[in-house]
Amino acid sequence: MIKVEKVCKAFGHLQVLNGIDFAVREGEVVCIIGPSGSGKSTLLRCLNQLESVTSGKVYIENELIEDKVPGEAYSKVNHKKAAEICTKLGMVFQRFNLFPHMTVLENVIISPMTVKKMPKAQAAAIGLKLLQKVGLEDKKDEYPSRLSGGQQQRVAIARALAMQPKIMLFDEPTSALDPELVGEVLSVMKELAAEGMTMIVVTHEMGFAKEVAHRVVFMDKGEILEENTPSEIFANPRHERTKAFLHKVL
Amino acid sequence: MKLEQIMNAMPALLKGSVLTLELTVISIIFGMILGLFLALGRLSKNKVVNSCCWFYIWLFRGTPLLLQIFFIYFAFPMFFTPPLKLLDFPSALIALSLNSAAYMAEILRAAIQSIDKGQMEAAKALGMSYGQAMKKVIIPQSYRRLIPPVGNEFIMLLKDSALVSSIGMTELLRVTTQIANRTGNAVIYLPCAAMYLILTTIFTVIFEKLEKRYSVYE
Repeated sequence: MIKVEKVCKAFGHLQVLNGIDFAVREGEVVCIIGPSGSGKSTLLRCLNQLESVTSGKVYIENELIEDKVPGEAYSKVNHKKAAEICTKLGMVFQRFNLFPHMTVLENVIISPMTVKKMPKAQAAAIGLKLLQKVGLEDKKDEYPSRLSGGQQQRVAIARALAMQPKIMLFDEPTSALDPELVGEVLSVMKELAAEGMTMIVVTHEMGFAKEVAHRVVFMDKGEILEENTPSEIFANPRHERTKAFLHKVL
Repeated sequence: MKLEQIMNAMPALLKGSVLTLELTVISIIFGMILGLFLALGRLSKNKVVNSCCWFYIWLFRGTPLLLQIFFIYFAFPMFFTPPLKLLDFPSALIALSLNSAAYMAEILRAAIQSIDKGQMEAAKALGMSYGQAMKKVIIPQSYRRLIPPVGNEFIMLLKDSALVSSIGMTELLRVTTQIANRTGNAVIYLPCAAMYLILTTIFTVIFEKLEKRYSVYE
């Protein structure tokens, strides 16, 4: 469903991704763990074109959306088509990034209405169902600033789902939350996973990774050092740096 | 100075105020529209567009408004053969609009840039194009931040519009000067000042109200 080949990403002289090969199958939940600055978020952002790769290939549902040879500035793929394919990816950010000037429901329905030109009534019907799913239909007319962090993140999940994505990307979705609010967001994510959504989750929640992930990927210094089932990676980490990292966080 | 003299001058002063108001409101609207394009140009990655917009702002902020008014009214028509006949009202309007566009552009650019980057990213991640994200997400959020500096610019322009009296526009200041010259009584400038104060006060209040209205979500 997603395939990444030899992806490198540099910001100026700083090499953030160093030849990443990575794939995700349909229905799979993959957690990416690793120390901060290891390139986890950048990898996620390269998937939906918030960052463009320096070199390498990215496929979404067998369609090539990035194809760069080292040293060449331009991707060989059609940008418009790539952007269209990327609408199959939904993304949830660490800091929610809800639109503060819109109510909760407006946040959820703005993209189907703008991008898919869906009539308002239809979008609102879908939006309400999604808000119900994340348990916030009673907050539909509130502005985001009136909600707690956990509620905001649940709205952000509903907003991403409103575009009916095939794959959901989560970029440290609980890192900006007070500890007591983490659970409500994780339970929405667990529900999504149980419904068979393909998910890539960058997280520091090892409990979530253990319980929900089919596969855990450990990244450090722009490389994937190890990937395995959660039971295997947490019980028998093979790489020294994985051991050191897990020792610190567990 | 008799009260009667002031009362007699009032209709003329009011007429002048209406012209001042017309010039200011129309110029600020044109200035805003042109300013938005200039601001987007200054934010553009296209180097040619960006430098053109930079040049425009540099030119109009770097020269006196009075000179711009003279240039457009006297010099600009000379570039045509036969010389263009530009009337005073359109000339004044063009000069004030072009000038305020330069200031508006900087105000708009600052407001747009002050919106958190995550907003554009979220809009893009939801599939919106740059234009859609600007229209639906970024620019609407900049409204509230725009109101104080735009209000400021409006009041500056209202006062600066007095400069077009130099090309014969009978706006508030010009009307007053005419009356003062005719009657030989310069105290008439006092009610003129009062008219300006009334106008600026009305708009200060309007802009404060607008600011409150747009801060509901914060």
